[in-house]
Amino acid sequence: MAVSQRNFIKLLKLTNLRQSSTAAQAMPVHEDIHQSFRTREDNPEYHGMQHINRIYTIPNNDLKMITCQGLITMYMKQFKTFAEASILVRKPAVEIISYLNQADYSKPVNKYVLYGEDGTGKTSTMLHTLHYAYTKGQIIVHVPWIRSWFDGPKETANSITKTNKIDLPFHAAAWLRNFKTQNQHILNKADIKLSATHEWSATENSAKDSSLMDMIDFGISRIKFASNVIIKLMSELKQASTSGKCKVLVAIDGYNALFSQQTNIFNDNKQMVPASQVSLTEAFLDITKSDWCNGQVIVTVDKMATKENAESHFPRYLLTNEGFDHLDPFLPISVENYTEDEFNTVIEYYKNRKWIRNLSSDGQKELQLLSGGNPYKLMEYCKHL
Amino acid sequence: MSLVARLCERHSVYLIPSINNLTVVRSVTKARIPNTATSKTDKGKHYGFRILELIPKPPEKQQRIVKKIQALPPRMNQMAVDQDWTSVWPGQRTFHPATVPLPVRQGYPKKNEAPPSKYGNAELMKIPNFLHLTPPTIKRHCEALKKFCTKWPEELDTDTSYDKHFPLEVIYSNYCYSGPSIREPMARIVSFRVKLSNLTLDQHAKDKILRLVGERYDPESDLLTIVADRCPIRKQNYEYAEYLLTALYHESWRKEEWENEKTLADMEYYDWDLEQSRKNLVTVYAWPEIPQDYDYENIPNATEYKIAVSDLVNNGEDDFSVNKYKEAVKKIMFWKPDGDKPNEK
Repeated sequence: MAVSQRNFIKLLKLTNLRQSSTAAQAMPVHEDIHQSFRTREDNPEYHGMQHINRIYTIPNNDLKMITCQGLITMYMKQFKTFAEASILVRKPAVEIISYLNQADYSKPVNKYVLYGEDGTGKTSTMLHTLHYAYTKGQIIVHVPWIRSWFDGPKETANSITKTNKIDLPFHAAAWLRNFKTQNQHILNKADIKLSATHEWSATENSAKDSSLMDMIDFGISRIKFASNVIIKLMSELKQASTSGKCKVLVAIDGYNALFSQQTNIFNDNKQMVPASQVSLTEAFLDITKSDWCNGQVIVTVDKMATKENAESHFPRYLLTNEGFDHLDPFLPISVENYTEDEFNTVIEYYKNRKWIRNLSSDGQKELQLLSGGNPYKLMEYCKHL
Repeated sequence: MSLVARLCERHSVYLIPSINNLTVVRSVTKARIPNTATSKTDKGKHYGFRILELIPKPPEKQQRIVKKIQALPPRMNQMAVDQDWTSVWPGQRTFHPATVPLPVRQGYPKKNEAPPSKYGNAELMKIPNFLHLTPPTIKRHCEALKKFCTKWPEELDTDTSYDKHFPLEVIYSNYCYSGPSIREPMARIVSFRVKLSNLTLDQHAKDKILRLVGERYDPESDLLTIVADRCPIRKQNYEYAEYLLTALYHESWRKEEWENEKTLADMEYYDWDLEQSRKNLVTVYAWPEIPQDYDYENIPNATEYKIAVSDLVNNGEDDFSVNKYKEAVKKIMFWKPDGDKPNEK
């Protein structure tokens, strides 16, 4: 019996039964009736206060490009389940987009820090701004979750150029590859040349005025040097954008991990190294300095971004003194729990996606009280409904 | 005859001079009474024959007679309505039912009964009473003490003026006992309280004195409290506290050589002028040039930003201080010259 069952499953995998069967198939539903909780404006550049509390859908092609660096599994799962990548237009995102529209790009970069309790939607807000940068044709320097590098790196190596520094070759190369995929179309168009010769080893170097893409390709193929390539890439990007060849949006999630004292990375003496001794840290600290223009920096600080127990979600506490001194002056933007209108919209959306059914008004009230308007908690509670 | 004479010699007490010999002999036999003494101590008092008692009787027990003391009738029965209570109850004293003319009751009542009455009531005797401190008594005390008092100075009409003229507050306690010993160890403790603002201190001295006194300083009331209790006598403790205060004051004014090694991390508060934040601001505004000095006079809204950062760090982070910082940063950040200042709307 067991064997036959296994064979059957195998068969299922081999032949897509769904296509040959009469079972229901996921089909894009054309909804002619205008749904009041949605907005048809899918260009985040034009999102303003009139779109707030509405849900907008990121076009599939855009989503593919803005999530090149990966996204938290939770998001990808939900996007797949709902067969669309929909985001609620919320106040912090609209606020940040208005700043990005109004910023003076000839002056040093403005820095924005998203902060808030766990699960209030800092990453969603960041995704919204990434979409903005993509539609504006900016180079995106995106790190989806810094802690993933420090928590369990696949491989560590001592840095070649700097003593006491640790390289994460696999992560660096993967990041470079994703960066290339994400920004290839812009980089090719901008045709950025290197400003100086970068020597990697006695025989290998990237010559001055050679293409930036070549350097990235070199980093991907020679992953031993990938960390160093990222460091140089950041300084080259800064120079290129300062000279006006391109615009850059830096988006780093869980930024306070860069100032963490605890990681899961160990040096040759089996001693834990702080985040500051990882060479990748240097690169992303460099790009978040205020000594370049034509760019904007958006980072999130998160209680869960470090191994240390965090007591407060406020930016200065999470950044620590060192991080505050590095990032200051920055614009803190609070991401809070759902307001009542936002909550109603989300419930409407869940109902529309058939994610929750037969929810009475009492049930909705109970959900609101249970979750306290926290987006993540609401999602968890709605899983079983 | 000689026998008789010898007997007479032995019992001279019974020897009655007589002419007749026979009479003498008869009188000797009559003198003997039976010896009924039961205890050994009584032996010498009886001289007669001992009576043989085969079963000796136990000695008779004497019943103790309790003498009833004649109690006087309760004093309260004789009290006049307008009597002088102060002379009845002049000082501290345990409750006495006959002296207090009040029908007080106290204690846990039995079922269907009233609480125990005042007679023989330990509950009433246990608790302290204030029968010696009735308002008329206190009034009379005050009247009696008045002649020893001087007039209150007119200048000291408010608390603030009091603080101004008498910045140092000395606190100690006197204890009064009706017991045999008048000593109380707690009476030796002396506390000095002084407002830190009343001491002449500069920035360095204030920082140092705060580090030296530690938790003896209360930032809310600005009071520095020194408690001296290590000496056995109050006077010694008083002098010791005086010494401590003097030493603290002078020590905080002294600047040792190693104090110049103080770094930013040792600072007791966030001084924006010394911190990285100021350098950041000036560097950002001078970009792409590298600033020669960190002068922020020409930067618009820099002072507001300075205050916001200092408040954020010194007063701790909360929604208010972070918002204040946000508003300040918004003003120093770079926006398109034609566009008006950004707002959320």
